[in-house]
Amino acid sequence: MANRLSRIRLSRRNFMVGSATAAVAMPLVGARAGSQPERPSETIRYTAPVKLTINHQPYELNLDLRTTLLDAIRDHTGLTGTKKGCDHGQCGACTVLINGTRVLSCLTFAVMADGREVTTIEGLAREDSSLHPMQQAFIDCDAFQCGYCTPGQIMSAVGCVHEGHAASEGEIREYMSGNLCRCAAYPNVVAAILQARDETRKA
Amino acid sequence: MSKEAPAPRENMGAPVPRFDARLKVTGGATYPADIPVADLAYGVLVTSLVARGSLAQLHTDKAATVPGFLGLFRHGDMAGTQPPKFGVAASSIGPLHGDRIFHDGQIIALVVAETYEAAMEAASLVTAEYDEERPSAGFDTQGTETTPGAGASPLFGEDVHAGDFDAAYAAAPVKIDEHYSTPTQHHNPIELFSTTAAWRGDQLTIYEPTQNVTGWKTELSRQLGIDPNRVRVISPYVGGAFGSKGPMTARTAIVAVAARRLGRPVRCVVTRMQAYGTQTYRAETRHRVRIGAERGGHITAFGHEGWEVTSRPDAYVVGGTIATGRLYAYGSVATHVDLVHADRNTPGYMRSPPETPYVYALENAMDEMAVALAMDPIEFRRVNEPTREPIGGKPFSSRSLLACYDEASKAFGWSDRESAVGSMRDGDWMIGMGCATAVYPTNIAPCAARVQLMADGHARVQCGCHEIGTGIRTVAGQMAAERLGVELTKVSVEMGDSALPPAPVSGGSNSTASVCSAVMKACDAIRNRLFLAVSGEGAPLAGAANSGMSLGNGQVIAADGRTVTLADAFATLQTVLIEEYAEFTPKGASPQALKKLYAGQPEFRGGERDDAVKYAFGAELVEVRIHTLTREIRIPRIVGAFAAGRIMNPRTARSQLMGGMIWGIGSALQEETEVDPRNARYVNKDLQDYLVPVNADIGDVQVILVPETDPQVNPAGVKGLGELGNVGTPAAVASAVYHATGIRVRDLPIRLDNLLT
Repeated sequence: MANRLSRIRLSRRNFMVGSATAAVAMPLVGARAGSQPERPSETIRYTAPVKLTINHQPYELNLDLRTTLLDAIRDHTGLTGTKKGCDHGQCGACTVLINGTRVLSCLTFAVMADGREVTTIEGLAREDSSLHPMQQAFIDCDAFQCGYCTPGQIMSAVGCVHEGHAASEGEIREYMSGNLCRCAAYPNVVAAILQARDETRKA
Repeated sequence: MSKEAPAPRENMGAPVPRFDARLKVTGGATYPADIPVADLAYGVLVTSLVARGSLAQLHTDKAATVPGFLGLFRHGDMAGTQPPKFGVAASSIGPLHGDRIFHDGQIIALVVAETYEAAMEAASLVTAEYDEERPSAGFDTQGTETTPGAGASPLFGEDVHAGDFDAAYAAAPVKIDEHYSTPTQHHNPIELFSTTAAWRGDQLTIYEPTQNVTGWKTELSRQLGIDPNRVRVISPYVGGAFGSKGPMTARTAIVAVAARRLGRPVRCVVTRMQAYGTQTYRAETRHRVRIGAERGGHITAFGHEGWEVTSRPDAYVVGGTIATGRLYAYGSVATHVDLVHADRNTPGYMRSPPETPYVYALENAMDEMAVALAMDPIEFRRVNEPTREPIGGKPFSSRSLLACYDEASKAFGWSDRESAVGSMRDGDWMIGMGCATAVYPTNIAPCAARVQLMADGHARVQCGCHEIGTGIRTVAGQMAAERLGVELTKVSVEMGDSALPPAPVSGGSNSTASVCSAVMKACDAIRNRLFLAVSGEGAPLAGAANSGMSLGNGQVIAADGRTVTLADAFATLQTVLIEEYAEFTPKGASPQALKKLYAGQPEFRGGERDDAVKYAFGAELVEVRIHTLTREIRIPRIVGAFAAGRIMNPRTARSQLMGGMIWGIGSALQEETEVDPRNARYVNKDLQDYLVPVNADIGDVQVILVPETDPQVNPAGVKGLGELGNVGTPAAVASAVYHATGIRVRDLPIRLDNLLT
C-alpha cells in the first residue's frame, strides 16, 4: 500500500510563493510557463492583424498575440520548411532571415515581424527554382543526415557569410555554433560554407 | 570525389548524393508534424511533478475556461483500451490507465484546444494534488530493488562465461580491478517528438516520427482494440532518432483516443523539456572490470560486472557483456549483470545501447592494463587478437580489427606518440594520444520489399523501412539500380508507411543488411522472369543460358555478348511492368519469423546468434589537448578506421561514422542528464543545459573505410555501421586524457573539474 507521506497542492501561486522550500515545485508546462502571468488575463487573448511578407509573398493573418513567428510560419502560412527543435532559442532549427539578418523565429513574436521581409528556406532557391549556392554546397558536401536542422543551418550559413563571419574554418565553426546538428554533420557544414562562401557573397 | 564523397575502395558502391538531398535543402522534406491536416486541434501534455505516489486530484476548472479549450483527457479516459505492452511499447506504464505515478514527468493529462497557444495556456492552468511517497532516484538511493539481468529480456538470456576465471585471475602476475560508470543520457534528436492522430470513420492514421511503423501499427491497434488493418502509421522523414523513436510511448494511444472523442484530428508536439520524462533515455550504468594477464600481455582472465538502472515495472536490460566477453582472446571470462529498479521512466535503446557503456568500461580497462604491462595499447590489443571468440569458441565471419588499427595508426601518425605520460606538450597545452576499439554486432531481420521495373527503365522500390538520416532510402535505391541495371535517377524509393511491405524496426544497425537483402531478392526475381522470357524459343536471346545473363545500361545482356533492350524484353512478356514482392528471411530464422515480421515483432539473427560471430570492428585514435592552467579539454583531431563488409555508399557511410565519432566525443566530454537524488527528477532538461557537441567543439574528423568482404554475413554482404562509430570514442578520449595528464578518469563525462589537481 502507498505510504501517505504528504499531500501537496500545487498551483502557480504556491509555486511562486513556496518555491524556496517546496522540493516538488515546478511549472506544469515547461516551455512557456515562465512567461505567463499568475492568473489568466483577458489581455493575453487579444488577436491582432499581422502583415507578414515571407519570401516576397504578402500574408495577412489574424493571430493570437502570443503566436511566435515560427508558429505563424508553420501553422498559419503552411511553410513547414522552418523547423521547431526546442522553442527556446537553443538549437537554431528555426533560423530565418529578417531583412537579411538571421533571427531565431521561435524567440520572435509574429507581430514583431509585421511589415518586415522574412526569408525562409523555401525562399532561398532562385525563381527558376535552381538552388542557392549554399543549398547546392550542402548537397555536395553531405552536410546533413536526417535533414531536420538543415533549413536552419542553411539560413544561418547564408546569414553568417553576409555578416562577414566566414573568413576561416575556425570562424565558421564559432559563428555556426548556434545551430545544433545531432547527426553531427559539423565538418561537412563547414566544408559546405567554404565551398559556397564566395558565390553567396555575390548572390 | 572529395573528402565528403570518398572514392570507393574494394567492395564499395558509388558515393552518390542522397535521394532526398534536394528535398532536405529546400524545406520540401515533410517530417510528420509538417504534414498538413485539415481541422486540426492542438494537444499539450500535463506531466507529474512527483516521481512516486498516486494522483489524488486534478483541478481542471480554470483550464476549461480558456477560450478555445476543447477537452481534457485524464485518468479514466483510456477506459476500454489496453495498457501498453513493454517491448514494442516503450514501457508497460499506461499513465492514464490508473492513478499510480511511476516517475517524475509522467503524463497525467492531455489538454486539447483550437490553437497551440490556447492549449499551452490551458495546460498551464491544470493543477494536481498527489499522495506522494519518497522516490528512489537510482544508484545509491534507498528503496531500489536489484534483480538479475540474465533472463530479464529475450535480448539478454544469460551471463556469459568461459573457463575458470577465479583461478586464472588469482594466478595472474599482472592484474587490475577497477570501477567505471556512465551517466544518464537523453537522445535529444533535434526534431521534437510528436503525434498527430486523424480518424476517418473507423480508420485511424497516425503521423509520428518513428523507427517502427509496422510494430507501432500492431501495438497501437492492440491497445485500442481495433483491427490492425484499420491503423496506418506514416513517417516519411524522421528528424533524428538514435533509438528514441523505436519504442512507441504511451502518448500515441492517448492522442488517438482524444481525436476519436473530439471527432477531429489532434496534433501533440511534445515540448523539449517534457520529452525527458515521456520518452526513453540511456540509463546510467556501473561496471567492475577485472583483467589478469601474463607479463607478455596475454590476457588470462576477464571479469565484467555491470549494473543498470531501470524503471520499477520494466526489466529493460542492455547487457553489453555479450560483446565485451567476446572481444579478445581471454583465457577465461566471468560476467554478471544486475538491474536496479528505481522510480524512473523506463530507459530505452540509445545508439549502441549495450556497447556504448560496456565497451567503454572494457576499453578503458584495456588501456589501464597496457599501462600496467608497460605495453603500447595497440600492441596490447594485437597480442590478444583472437582466432575464435572465447565464449562459444565460434569463428568470426570476418574480423578486420588489426587492419583498422594499421590504417588508423598510419593516418594518425601513432608512431610519433611518445609513450611516457605527460611527455608531449605544445606551449600551454598538454598533448595526449589514446586509442580504443569499436565493435558492433551485425544484426539482420526478416524484411519484405516490393520492386517494380518498367519497360522504360524506371524502377520503384517500396519498403516499410524508415529514413532516419542513415541514407537507407538511397542505398536501397542503389541496390535496385545495380541489380536491375538501370540509371539511379530512374529509381524511386518509398518508405516510412505501414501500408508498405513490412520492414523490421530501424534499430540495431540492421536496416541496410535487411532491406538490401529483401530488395536484392525482389530484383533477382524480376531478373529471372526477364531472363526466362528473352531466352525462350523465338525470343531475342533464344538459347542463352540464364545463369550467364545480366542487366546493364537498360539492356539484358547474354554471356555471349548478345543484348536486347528492356523495351524489347518486356515486349516478349507483353507487359510494361514487372512487379515482384519479396520476403527475405535470414539464415537460421525460425519458421515463424515471417509471421512475426508482419506482426511487428521481427526476429533478429546475426551477432553472436549464428554459427559464426558476426561483428563489425573499428579502431579510433584521438589527440586531446588540455590547457595547463584552465584544464580546458579540446579534441583537435580524431581518426577512425572501420571495416563493415560491403559499403553500399561511401558518402553516407562516412557521414554516419563521422557523426558517430562526434557522438562519442559528446559522450566523453559533455553529455549527462543530471538526476536530483532527492526527488528522482531530471534537472537539465533542455539543450542549453544538456550539453551536446556544437560546431566549435569539433576539429578534424577523419574516417577511413577499410575494405572487407564477408559473403557469410548476409546476402547483401553488408554489416551495419550506424552504431559503430561512437562505441570506441569515449574510451579513446579517456586513454588520451590519461596520456596527457596521468589522471585516469573512470566516470563519464570527463570534464575539466576532473583534471584539476
